Amino acid sequence: MDVFGSFALVLAFICAVYAFVGGIAAIVTRHPLLIKSARQSGIATCCLIFIATFSIEYLFFTDNFASAYVVSHSNRALATFYKIGALWAGQEGSLLFWSFVLAIYVFSVLVAYRNKNGELMPYVGVILAGVQIFFLTLNNFIASPFKALAVPGANGAMEFVARSDGNGLTPLLQYPEMVIHPPHLYSGYTGFTIPFAFALAALLARYPGEKWIHLTRKWTMIAWGFQTAGILLGAHWAYAVLGWGGYWGWDPVENASLLPWLTGTAFLHSVMMQEKRGMMKVWNVWLVFSTFLLCIMGTFLTRSGVVSSVHAFAQSNIGRWFVGFLVVIFLTCLVAYVKNRDYLTSENQLDSVVSRESSFLFNNLVLLVSCVAVLSGTLFPVLSEAVSGSKISVGAPFFNKVNIPLGLFLLFLTGVGPLLAWRKTSAESLKRNFAWPLILGLIGGAALFFAGMREFYALLCFSLCIFVTTTILMEFYRGAKVIRTRSGASFLTSAIELTMRNTRRYGGYIVHMGMVLIFIGLAGAAFTQNVQKEMQQGSSMQIGKYTLVLQGLDTKPEANYTGHRLIVEVFVANKPIMMLYPERREFETNGETGTMVAIYSTLREDLYVVYAGQSPAGSDLPVIHAYLNPLVKWIWFGGVIVVFGTLVALMPNRRAVLVLTGAGAKQTAGETLVRGMTPSVTIREGHD
Amino acid sequence: MIRKTKSKPKMKRIALVFVAASMCFAGVLPLLPAFGDSQEPDHAHRLGMKVRCMCGGCNDSAGGCYHVGGAFSGPCDTAKGMLKTIDARIAKGDSDDLIVQSFVQEFGQAVLTEPPHNGFAGLAWWIPGLAFAAGLGLVIAVISRWRKRLSPGPALAAAGNAPPVSHELLERARAQAARDTED
Repeated sequence: MDVFGSFALVLAFICAVYAFVGGIAAIVTRHPLLIKSARQSGIATCCLIFIATFSIEYLFFTDNFASAYVVSHSNRALATFYKIGALWAGQEGSLLFWSFVLAIYVFSVLVAYRNKNGELMPYVGVILAGVQIFFLTLNNFIASPFKALAVPGANGAMEFVARSDGNGLTPLLQYPEMVIHPPHLYSGYTGFTIPFAFALAALLARYPGEKWIHLTRKWTMIAWGFQTAGILLGAHWAYAVLGWGGYWGWDPVENASLLPWLTGTAFLHSVMMQEKRGMMKVWNVWLVFSTFLLCIMGTFLTRSGVVSSVHAFAQSNIGRWFVGFLVVIFLTCLVAYVKNRDYLTSENQLDSVVSRESSFLFNNLVLLVSCVAVLSGTLFPVLSEAVSGSKISVGAPFFNKVNIPLGLFLLFLTGVGPLLAWRKTSAESLKRNFAWPLILGLIGGAALFFAGMREFYALLCFSLCIFVTTTILMEFYRGAKVIRTRSGASFLTSAIELTMRNTRRYGGYIVHMGMVLIFIGLAGAAFTQNVQKEMQQGSSMQIGKYTLVLQGLDTKPEANYTGHRLIVEVFVANKPIMMLYPERREFETNGETGTMVAIYSTLREDLYVVYAGQSPAGSDLPVIHAYLNPLVKWIWFGGVIVVFGTLVALMPNRRAVLVLTGAGAKQTAGETLVRGMTPSVTIREGHD
Repeated sequence: MIRKTKSKPKMKRIALVFVAASMCFAGVLPLLPAFGDSQEPDHAHRLGMKVRCMCGGCNDSAGGCYHVGGAFSGPCDTAKGMLKTIDARIAKGDSDDLIVQSFVQEFGQAVLTEPPHNGFAGLAWWIPGLAFAAGLGLVIAVISRWRKRLSPGPALAAAGNAPPVSHELLERARAQAARDTED
């Protein structure tokens, strides 16, 4: 099967090269058969990558320990579920997985648009094939996952061998979220290839109008949704597994995933200006280019070893390939822009400074500055070493100091932007839209201040959350009220109807609401407490209102590890409320240890209990490290709302359709109302 | 008379909103953390947050070292040694700056968790500020350029004796209006 998979990868590379070269020839000659063959070659490339990926998974499932990659990242006792995740545990497999996810996108695009957009698609096909060629080059010639296990023989020559068992999977990856977090994140990273390909193709082909924007909107939202979910799942994994009480440490690899998210978010907002007003064309094209470049940059940071990170793969020379690819993409984008910049002339002007357009400009400004801050902070140690010879560390305190004010400004804009009208907002409208949110935000802030809150940023954050929530609820209220007046339905039904009539707008509001919840959760970090204590059986420790009593310790041998578990009873005001089982796992195959945190989670706070290990002081008593993390649950709940809002925004609008009704046709209440106004037509609901 | 009848429901509505808002706050407040309970770390740990644990196996600060993957999930021996040194120097009466500087002398600037504000390292702090200033300048320049392009005077002047609007122009205007009011 390893030969089969390897052969499929080589064939995929050949097909991708043909799709690229044949595609260019098709663009030059406009020969229909050539166009078709290039497209079909692109589809074949994807199918062959699917085959190669399934082949390596087959090797994992059959415990084929003649494969070097399987030996390195699996063992017989590894649960089947984790054998899926073992694919992306190492450099070679994760690069193949990247190609696999990219192939799903490319396959979907080539099939969905096979008979559409004939002028644009050959260019798109060539660009996608170009990206695939790069990754297939790595898969075939630089980091192949299909290498057979070989050891030096008696005469010094390498001999192929098969081991009876493998080294096993890193304990940190043996957690359910590690099977779903990387696919989400990779789907985000690779998904931005599609808007990139369409943007570059439209520029190269000088494709008229804003159609490429409409074509790629959903792809961009899908990629953004996956990226968001991937980042949050990663944060949740760090929180539940690493045992340090936090969820975001500003590690270079975390930062790498945030960078394209920031520019992608900026693009999702500024693209509306191009759709509606024909403005910001140059900006949008460069935002798409930057987002894709940052995706590649993120991969480079993770794999090159250029920055030190707990997440990073082993140091290798693969980084220079990524640098080369980054240079090629940047130069291609620059040349395409310089040659066709007249195509990107803005069609409209700004009518007023107080308008939706201006708010988007500021939104983009904040997101981009945040991106620059995170990127410069991540790369500064490398830069300082190159320039001054000494490495200067840039850690979490720097990122927090810079990004917290920016994040709060962005939260403020989240409330302001949607209430401003396109073109111009009148003073009357400003008063009508902002009076209540401002009043409630200020009252809320004052109430929290008098309740004892003195953390400035937390106070500001909660006040802004109230402000933004009110603006969102008002938008739903006003729209639902109109529908309710006409249809007589309940407010909830009217609000759902309102959302379904303009899914993009109201889906966007739901996303904003999710972001508000996330900000509430983030603000809770200002009030974290933690206690660490050596515990004897029956002894207790206090954190906040909780009393933790150690009731016992047990050891449980499992197939792949031995679990050492503490039995901790939790009391509040002498009333038992919960049993918690923080655990340490010892993995015999590789001698590594891992933690399983026990969390008692409520909307108010998380009681987070870690079995830190046996006391290093010599007493060998178990040590419990307990944290009280307020409002963390709101982050995960907010993440679910964000993803839900993205899904809503992806749905087609339900629109009122004008139809003629014959005499005696059945009428609904709504129809009767409309008939009263326009006697010859009625409204029927339908989907566009 | 008419004013009176209009202002009454308005006042009632305002009162209702206030009652509803107060109830919301009352409902949400118990969910919020106990603000007075925020924990201030001890002096040594607070200073320990400013210097990096130099064990080479983690990227944590000495005050916040938890050493993922280690035999003990808590401060490793290196971090504990650094915290001990800090404790001893605090007891001796050394200032915070002096203690941090002693670590810089021993390990170089790489020991600091955030870059210093002076010298080349200060550039790290300048970059976001400069990016914001440059971006703001760009936004203002773009807005003023777009505004300059507008010339409403002649258009308004001609509006009085303008030729009839063509069907095509009207359709385009309708389409634009539809787009403007969609989102």
